Amino acid sequence: MNASFEKIVQYIKTHCEADDYSLHIVGGDNHETRFAQNRITQHLAGPDLDITLNVAFDNKTGSASVNQDDPHTLDHLIKTAQDIARLNQPDPEYIGTAPAAQLPQVDNCDPATKNLDPKQMVEYVNQVIQRAKAMDARVSGMTEKHHYERLLFTKGGFLGYDASTSFGHSMTLKKDASETKVSFAAKSYAGFDPQREFDRLQGQLESLVNQQSMDAEKIAVILRPSALGELLRYMAWMMNRRQSDEGFTPYTGQMGKLFFGDKFSLYSTLKNPDITASSFSSEGIPSQEITWIENGVIHNMPSNRYWAQKQGHEPKEYFNFYVPGGNTSEEEMMKMVPRGLIINRFWYIRPVDMKVGELTGMTRDGVLYFEDGKVKHAINNLRFNEIPYQATRRILALGPNEAVSPSTSIPSLLIDGFNFVDKTSF
Amino acid sequence: MRYLDLAIGKALDLGAEYADIRVQRTTDEVVMLQKLSLKNTSHNQIYGYGIRVFKDGAWGFAHNKVFTEEAVLATVQKAYDIARLSALVNKEQQLRLAPERSYIATYNTPVQIDPFCVPLTEKVDLMMEVNRTLLSYEGIQSARFFLVSHKDEKLFASTLGTRLELNTQWIDPMITATAVHAGDSQSRTFDEGGRATGWEWILELDLMDKARQIAEEALIKVKADALGPEQRRSLVLDPNHLGLTMHESVGHPTELDRVLGWEADFAGISFATPEKLGNYRYGSEIVNFVGDNTLCGGLATHGFDDDGVPGQKWHIIKDGILQEYGSTRDTALEIGLGYSRGCNRATHYYDQPINRIPNLYMLPGKEPLTPSQLIADTEDGVYIQGRGSFSIDQHRVNFQFGGDFFWEIKNGKLHRPLKKVLYKSNNPEFWNSCDAICDERFWRPFGVINCGKGQPSQTARMTHGSSVARFRNIRVGGSQ
Repeated sequence: MNASFEKIVQYIKTHCEADDYSLHIVGGDNHETRFAQNRITQHLAGPDLDITLNVAFDNKTGSASVNQDDPHTLDHLIKTAQDIARLNQPDPEYIGTAPAAQLPQVDNCDPATKNLDPKQMVEYVNQVIQRAKAMDARVSGMTEKHHYERLLFTKGGFLGYDASTSFGHSMTLKKDASETKVSFAAKSYAGFDPQREFDRLQGQLESLVNQQSMDAEKIAVILRPSALGELLRYMAWMMNRRQSDEGFTPYTGQMGKLFFGDKFSLYSTLKNPDITASSFSSEGIPSQEITWIENGVIHNMPSNRYWAQKQGHEPKEYFNFYVPGGNTSEEEMMKMVPRGLIINRFWYIRPVDMKVGELTGMTRDGVLYFEDGKVKHAINNLRFNEIPYQATRRILALGPNEAVSPSTSIPSLLIDGFNFVDKTSF
Repeated sequence: MRYLDLAIGKALDLGAEYADIRVQRTTDEVVMLQKLSLKNTSHNQIYGYGIRVFKDGAWGFAHNKVFTEEAVLATVQKAYDIARLSALVNKEQQLRLAPERSYIATYNTPVQIDPFCVPLTEKVDLMMEVNRTLLSYEGIQSARFFLVSHKDEKLFASTLGTRLELNTQWIDPMITATAVHAGDSQSRTFDEGGRATGWEWILELDLMDKARQIAEEALIKVKADALGPEQRRSLVLDPNHLGLTMHESVGHPTELDRVLGWEADFAGISFATPEKLGNYRYGSEIVNFVGDNTLCGGLATHGFDDDGVPGQKWHIIKDGILQEYGSTRDTALEIGLGYSRGCNRATHYYDQPINRIPNLYMLPGKEPLTPSQLIADTEDGVYIQGRGSFSIDQHRVNFQFGGDFFWEIKNGKLHRPLKKVLYKSNNPEFWNSCDAICDERFWRPFGVINCGKGQPSQTARMTHGSSVARFRNIRVGGSQ
């Protein structure tokens, strides 16, 4: 464990007078190189630190956070949190901090990525810019690396520590009216090859050159993993146990029932080496294998410690996302329906109706029209208004899995009758 | 000030063409009451400095939280080294900075009662009373009160000789009541979006009255009819709805960095390209938008931006025609503009400043017109208050908005309450369809405290504003 974190823990243990407390420390070191229109426009680096102390006197709570770890600041942190708690009204939903727990072993840290030389990152940027210039196009994006350490300590006896690294490179290529994007994100940069990524980007761009206008309609779609990833974030966020129990989401009363399509499952898992997993939540819930949805049946919904205790179930939080895929290739999917669209990515998804579970959003970075099993041409971007859980009932096929972020592995999906409602001018 | 001089001296010694240091302490007090449970009562403070070095047409930015001479010098060196690395890539296309003069100045947000000096018990007691009131209504299942007080204290020095001390503050109360009825759930929110002022604003608001209003309206809304299929209708939009629409469809498209494609990979670009300046009909002739970082109470009123450029007031759209953008020192010269409009802002000390929306508002109508007269003059339409669902494409053309509270207008009267209303439009259709704006008596500001942009992501604040306005022939209908 980080020695400076240990020192902070010792200081809090010695000086905090509260009946109960939890201490959360997150420290990081970041380097981000941002480029646009074939040049670097931003380039930043530095460490960060967040120390948050939550305290309670009986069931009166207070919280404070600082970013300095000297004794004077830590005294201020303790005093501020304690003063708030002493002055505060009782919280009827307060339960004590998490007790000691056995945590799973995780491996989210790649030392080589932590030590990646910024010169190498700039060289990656230079390589893709040179490729873009060579084809008279413009590339924009970001190369980044991060190293984080996280500690949670409670007076109740919980002690958890995780370290992680991440490397990311995303880029958008624009030539004439066509633009598209690819991104790479993993705990290690070892699998990253800027030339191969640019080849993929260039291939995507070339497929978009012949663009024709198309009006919105209900139509079959192949959602590539990057598109499903955008949708899944909102689907997961809406699936909250308390919100559902209190009647605010479409999942009210659906626990244990077939509610999603039977081809759709969602897990958080410690067993998939392709995705990272934190070993504990911010509340001190140990990570374990969780089946959220299996073959369309809702088995669990995220639930915090208070609501779980009140309702008599186990608390659970997402710690990664795994949607098991299938073996159907994009070519095979195109042959399964008369016509449809291939969606590269979604953008600006927002809830329209929380109770119904309806979302809106736009396509972005390339939409392809296919017919009779073949791509015919690109089309303009479209807006959808869709209810995702209902859309999973129309899944016709699943493709192989892909990691779209260090903690998310999902497949492509062929979905029938996706509800597009409007189009835009490009 | 010792560290400021040290950093600037070191940057000049290294050969920086330009450099600045921004020491910033950010303090938040957050109180979040869910029903009668205090989910978060916290005081958060972060403190550090960010150093920018400009060398050979490229930026380097490094930040640190350690205040020693050694750490400051090392951070300048790091920023310089990063700038040199960036410059290797930018050889053929160097960035350039618009000229600016030096300033020695201070700015303080005008505040009568410092929210940080108001006892916590007074705040929590008020919030408890509000939520108890909300929950006393049969059918209100959830009450949520979020109160945030925020202040930034900055010291800024640059190689131009500028030395600034900027102390800004804002406060934001937001209250939501959620009603459940017959299998549906609908919320109504009191949300003015925050204001750069003190606790005196909270006292003026009469939040108990607002609580009763939103509880009653949530109950009306949950039992209201949904609007039928989409058809072309008139929209009458309240300032606290229109604020978000102008933010997304005028504010972001006129940020010069987006226009230049600097956000192409993430937040998107803009349809409002430079060849349209001075000739593109963005809106009807009565539509006038002003960027104004001198606006009293404005969340982007800081005295100076993080380039050391003073707050200004200028037309972005005049008589419906696109005039100018919100710009920064490193974007202005790209379109031949010889000065920055002072829109470069960072959220925290560790953020490199980026081009942000200024305080941006629509001027009121010139002829006397009240909202009642406007509604009386509308045959078939929907009146929308408050913000709801919002989504816009990455070129800022096609958009869809919801709202928080809706009335159908029939034959000049508020006919019946509605729920689940959406409208779809685009640029330039929407702003060109504006045919009436109420006069200055009905102009109201609306703050945005959570404008996300940039990689790494930053959250900026700005204030919008308008009078009640009408838009003709817009596609309006119910959700799915």
